[in-house]
Amino acid sequence: MTKTLKLRFNRKQLCIPYAAFLILFVICPLLVIIYYAFTNGTGQFTFDNLVNFFSNTNTLGTLLNSIAIACVTTIVCLVIAYPVAYILARSKFRRKYVLLMLFVLPMWINFTLRITALKEILSFIEGNLAMYPFLNTVIGMTYDFLPFMILPLYTALSKLDKSLFEAAEDLGASSFTVFMRVVLPLSVPGIISGVTMVLLPSMTNYVVLDMLYNSTYIMGSLIGSYFAAYDWNNGSMISLILLIIIFIITLATNKFNDDQSSGRTVL
Amino acid sequence: MKMKKIAAVAAACVFALPVFAAAGCTTADETVVLRVSNWEEYIDLGEWGEDELIEFEDGTTIFGENSVIDDFTEWFNSQDYGFKVRVEYSTFGTNEDLYNQLNLGDVYDLVCPSDYMIMKLLDEDEDAILPFSEEFMDKSNPENYYINGVSKYIDGAEGSIFYEHGWNGIAACYMWGTTGLVYNPDRVDDEANDVSSWDMLTNTDYYKSVTIKDNVRDAYFTALSILYEDELNAINADDSMTEDDKAAARSELLNATDEETVAAAEDILKDIKENVYSFETDSGKTDMVTGKVIGNLQWSGDAVYILDQADEEDTELWYSVPQSNTNLWFDGWVMLKDGINGNRNRQIAAEAFVNFLSRPDIAVRNMYYIGYTSSIAAEEVFNYFDWCYGVVPEDEGEDLEIYVYDVSYFFGEDSYIYLDMSTLNVEGATRTYVYENVADYTVYEGGTIYKGRQAFGQYPTADVISRSVVMLDFGDDLANINQMWINVRCLDINDIPVTTVVIVAVIIVAAVAAILLYRFRYYIFYRKEPRTTASR
Repeated sequence: MTKTLKLRFNRKQLCIPYAAFLILFVICPLLVIIYYAFTNGTGQFTFDNLVNFFSNTNTLGTLLNSIAIACVTTIVCLVIAYPVAYILARSKFRRKYVLLMLFVLPMWINFTLRITALKEILSFIEGNLAMYPFLNTVIGMTYDFLPFMILPLYTALSKLDKSLFEAAEDLGASSFTVFMRVVLPLSVPGIISGVTMVLLPSMTNYVVLDMLYNSTYIMGSLIGSYFAAYDWNNGSMISLILLIIIFIITLATNKFNDDQSSGRTVL
Repeated sequence: MKMKKIAAVAAACVFALPVFAAAGCTTADETVVLRVSNWEEYIDLGEWGEDELIEFEDGTTIFGENSVIDDFTEWFNSQDYGFKVRVEYSTFGTNEDLYNQLNLGDVYDLVCPSDYMIMKLLDEDEDAILPFSEEFMDKSNPENYYINGVSKYIDGAEGSIFYEHGWNGIAACYMWGTTGLVYNPDRVDDEANDVSSWDMLTNTDYYKSVTIKDNVRDAYFTALSILYEDELNAINADDSMTEDDKAAARSELLNATDEETVAAAEDILKDIKENVYSFETDSGKTDMVTGKVIGNLQWSGDAVYILDQADEEDTELWYSVPQSNTNLWFDGWVMLKDGINGNRNRQIAAEAFVNFLSRPDIAVRNMYYIGYTSSIAAEEVFNYFDWCYGVVPEDEGEDLEIYVYDVSYFFGEDSYIYLDMSTLNVEGATRTYVYENVADYTVYEGGTIYKGRQAFGQYPTADVISRSVVMLDFGDDLANINQMWINVRCLDINDIPVTTVVIVAVIIVAAVAAILLYRFRYYIFYRKEPRTTASR
């Protein structure tokens, strides 16, 4: 028993744990969803679920509502986060990591707790929360997702080479032109990953909605309600539709990103 | 190599040992695992504070030191059953959760679904539920606490609710109650009318300050109660009908599931959605106590709990059962055939568990802990009711108005307690006598009560019960009603205001335009080819 056990892995084999995870928790459930989406209660193949979704004005309205909430949240996040990230990235302030930390700090606390706190603050300001469901939802989601917008933007902006700005200024560009023609184009990868990270989850996040007393479903809660009513087939179909929509959005942003820098910022 | 083989054989032996032991069965040390699934927060978990000791006038004391489940295990294992028991206790949040769990293959021996879910389980598979044994239903054995203790009004006797619905012997009622409205009397404008009807939920005077349960059955029942309010009131007032006819007519109205009714209910629920603060699953209790809302559709047990909580915060809340009708509901223990699986010992353990929960002192502990009303009508339970809410006639020095609160329908003849008249809202009570020796008491009885405090929530009057309806399973129309509920909760594209559509359209167009402008900026603004980006 002198010989030690020889572990001989090549690099491909290092992927096995992830591949197993992927198959077990992503591919298999996806196949199950597809199976349920195209069958009815008795297990026969059908397109009824698809027709149900697109022929019901209520579910279509919900889709629109989700998209609206997600878009507004993303725009608000972007408007708030860009200047912050820009200032943080450009500042010579030596303790800027402390500032950055302050923005990211809320992420360390469970978001349902944060929303519970926000609920109290909002009802203190507004009086009756239920009066402004859309506004509350957007505020709640912004509160939730803002760090996801700031971080990629900050990473993208702080990576920019300062000599590029200096070169532009030397060539006579005003600071506005420098921003529009140098900084903004170079930060697009950051914007895109920020937008993706906010837009997609905010389309399905229903906890915020529930907790802020918005009684109108969005896609996440709609799917949940079908599953709760043991209608797995319609629920799966809506999940699938949502998945396809998200896939298209991701595809579009990636395509758009292709002609930008190859080094997409990673959070 | 040889060593390995021996080790493997040894290991196989060690692992196989418990299997042989389990197969041996009838040994005295056999332990039966009883898998019980119950509602969340629906049993006494013990650890009461010392000041929580319940002490009746006759000196009986009841105290919850350990959880009822531990107490049961300890008690059972000290008995001479010839085997031991271990309880695997799990909980569920809604009937639908339980149903989904069962369909996904979870196995339980004893579960506690509501009335309609029991019906649904039976409808789908007649043999899903194992009836209770004859020994369990044998009244001559005093240790059969359930069948000896359960109120004649609920189960056992001919004419009881369970008998009428064919549930006797199938299910053992655990808790029961009504639905009604919890409200804050200080903030209701017209207490006489506003809270006496389910209309409160659509009443725009309470715009965004009432809540309703986020639950299709309670919501549907409320919608039908509003839809048929006039018909129901007409039935209540009709003297030519017998009580049985009235009950049948009410039940027919409130269990209607035809398409027209469902469509009408959808419209009413959309009004309700427009008017309410929220559809709540659990937040309604705190929102009521903290004053965020004025009224809240609530189950009677939770209503008692909320009223208690509010009292601690010095807010006085009341419970009202609308005049037209209410929903009478039951949660019952049923044994599942898949779980018991012909194992006699397991069935004995399950039945012993139900009997243990029905033991009067345990029933009182559960009632105290969870706030709901037990199905058990034993003397201790009545004493507990009196201990909680009855006024003690020795209170000297103040003028008191006392009401004789009659609960004979539940506890048997001549069961009444004295309640402080200010905790009830009685219409047409008659003054019976004035008690002048100890202090100045005026005693009332009779009349009708629509609103009251905890006592009224715990045990409604016979009059309220007579106007109640048991809500049956939706059967084949379930899918329709679920879809209706989803439609209510969704945003109908036809209801979206045009301005919103325009704003959203403008935003989308602007975003797309910005992206396109940016993408093709070289062609549009600079009129030259971009430098090859590959160089970067």
